[in-house]
Amino acid sequence: MEQANKAIHTEPDWTPPGKPNRPNKTRKSFFTEKRKEALSGYLYVSPFFILFMVFGLFPILFSFYLGFQQWNGIGGFGSMEFIGLQNFKWILTDPIFWKSLLNTLIIWVLGTIPQLIIGIILAYALNSVLIKMKTFFRVSIFLPYVTSTVAVAIVFGIIFNSQEFGLINVIFGIFGFDPVSWETSEWGVKIAISTMVFWRWIGYNTIIYLAGLQGIPKELYEAAEIDGATVKQKIQFITIPMIRPIIILTVFTSTIGALQLFTEPMIFLGRGAREEGITVVLYLYREAFSNLAFGPASAAAIILFIIIMILTSINVFVANRIGK
Amino acid sequence: MKKWLMFVVFSALIVTLVACSNDEAGDSDGKVELDFWVFGSTGYDVLVEEYMEEHPDVKINFNEGEMEDMHNNLFTSLSAGSGAPDIAQIEISEITKFMQAQDQFYNLNDYGAEDVEANFLDWKWAQARSVDDSFQIGLPTDIGPTTLFYRTDVMEEAGFPTDPEELAAEIDTWDAYYEAALTIMEKTGKPITDSPEMLFNAIRDQQEQQYFNEDDELIIEDTVKASYDFATKMIQEGLVGKNELWSPEWGNGMAEGSYATMPGSPAWMIANVKGNAPDAGGKWSLTTIPEGAGNWGGSFLTIPKESEHPEEAFEFISWLTSPEIQLRSFHNNGLFPSTPDVYEDEEFLATSDEYFNGAETAKIFAEAAQSVKTVYMGVNYAIVNNELATALMNVAIEGADPQEEWDAAVERINTQLERQ
Repeated sequence: MEQANKAIHTEPDWTPPGKPNRPNKTRKSFFTEKRKEALSGYLYVSPFFILFMVFGLFPILFSFYLGFQQWNGIGGFGSMEFIGLQNFKWILTDPIFWKSLLNTLIIWVLGTIPQLIIGIILAYALNSVLIKMKTFFRVSIFLPYVTSTVAVAIVFGIIFNSQEFGLINVIFGIFGFDPVSWETSEWGVKIAISTMVFWRWIGYNTIIYLAGLQGIPKELYEAAEIDGATVKQKIQFITIPMIRPIIILTVFTSTIGALQLFTEPMIFLGRGAREEGITVVLYLYREAFSNLAFGPASAAAIILFIIIMILTSINVFVANRIGK
Repeated sequence: MKKWLMFVVFSALIVTLVACSNDEAGDSDGKVELDFWVFGSTGYDVLVEEYMEEHPDVKINFNEGEMEDMHNNLFTSLSAGSGAPDIAQIEISEITKFMQAQDQFYNLNDYGAEDVEANFLDWKWAQARSVDDSFQIGLPTDIGPTTLFYRTDVMEEAGFPTDPEELAAEIDTWDAYYEAALTIMEKTGKPITDSPEMLFNAIRDQQEQQYFNEDDELIIEDTVKASYDFATKMIQEGLVGKNELWSPEWGNGMAEGSYATMPGSPAWMIANVKGNAPDAGGKWSLTTIPEGAGNWGGSFLTIPKESEHPEEAFEFISWLTSPEIQLRSFHNNGLFPSTPDVYEDEEFLATSDEYFNGAETAKIFAEAAQSVKTVYMGVNYAIVNNELATALMNVAIEGADPQEEWDAAVERINTQLERQ
């Protein structure tokens, strides 16, 4: 049927003079079965790529471009002015940028490292045969991850209220400590924000570790037991090496996540973006959307990108050594 | 063949899904369509309906949003060059920013703004005019002349009169305000205000020059440093609380009566106090602020260049900002009118508020409105304001040294200004 149709439609009634008469061949050669296949493949994946180009790739490239321009966004694209490396100079000589970087790193250490260690311990406990109602515990430990970050930040903002009637300050009062000004003091802000990060991500990492632990074949432990291995030896020589790829994964994701920390300090600190708790992303957000200095903001984003690359390389290097 | 057709259909589908359709319906059934963006609760939707009934050839698409979102959307659409409405409400704190993009707006002088100029307060009109007086970006809507809100119960306990006029006579200068703070603290143990920022802002708003001069040079050292010193001195003596503006504690404080006054409160603050302290009726009152009023808040209606119907849009906004309609907005939604003619209206002047102990609110605000000075704010007002607020709060909460905090704030301000 199709063949017949094609034959009818492609039969030329008239051919321009001087041109070779071979329409059949050109049409066929373009839509071969192979090409159709390829075309349909591209069309199937195109929604993602089109969306990615519009909302992912373009902003990334545009941001690199903006890093060398002075632009406040008001006068349209025509008002951009090329100023070379001036934006980078401004950012790198700004003590508040370095302060924001230091804050980010401190919050990363405070929020991530205990989270990964406790995550492994919790996963080990959840995986052990001694615990009843495993599903219940697994679900409840994962629940915080489902909450919206903004809601977490608001609730913790109330818990870590600077006033004397804030929940933590009341508890401190019971034990005879002075109330802490969580929203303004150097360490109070960081501890409060780290706690939010810890609470929200601990379940996620625990579940990932749990999956890793369950992937370890029982035979390995049995063989070790026959050889007379202790619990410590089993963990050191079987568990840790076997879940090493999982540890690397969680360290990567939490490093990148921690360096991009934004919502929690944004909600917790409010419009002031105080120096004690400003993170790199909050800093560049303030530059771009409060001060309309899109150039320096993009420069800060590029610098953050480079920092993430460096830290990830260090991560790979260190993680490769764990359990060797 | 069929497959090929399917591909065409699919790709067409994807293209339509991805490319957000931006086709405005245009002039449907011969009507002029105007998109109108406002923020907050203006009650303009009712007025829009009324206008459309009187003008059947005009269709207004009313779009109400949150203040920050609306300004961000307007900013984005102006930068991108498409998507802006025909009429946009712009708040006073944002107006200088949009004034920088003059070429994106119609100069209302070309459409007869000069004819209606006499309707409005001089200082309010000047806020939406370019420095060289040639460009009028918007028509004024409501204003926020500042007064002194006070708790009658706390004032009574401290031995002060609770009648607005008598109290205003007693606290008529900032020195008297300071003396009153000492008395109130001694008699009741309560601070005179809970908000360092409000105290600072109240005095700042009385200055003729504030953060920048008309050449956009930072002049805070000569203008508002004195207000800062006054506020920090009172903070250090424990006469001022430490609540941050707009924080939940600040809102709760209105209901508790844990302090005596809210200096520099504009007309729209009435709704805030009532919302935060619904049961405190009769415990609040308001009077004239010492040493002359300032202005806090208020908006303008502008016409972005993208509009294809500037004449019709101007006709609508000049109706909406006319004295009669502003008077109705005041009665319906508490938007304080920017048209001094209204201040002579007897019904208007007789407006009193039982919640505020029967104080003649309209009269007190109207007097305040007429004593406001014309101030040049400058594009980077918000940067300076933010950093000075941080300095004040550091003095209040951390007990930091005022001069060190001031110097640090100036340094932070200069770093940010350099990049503009």
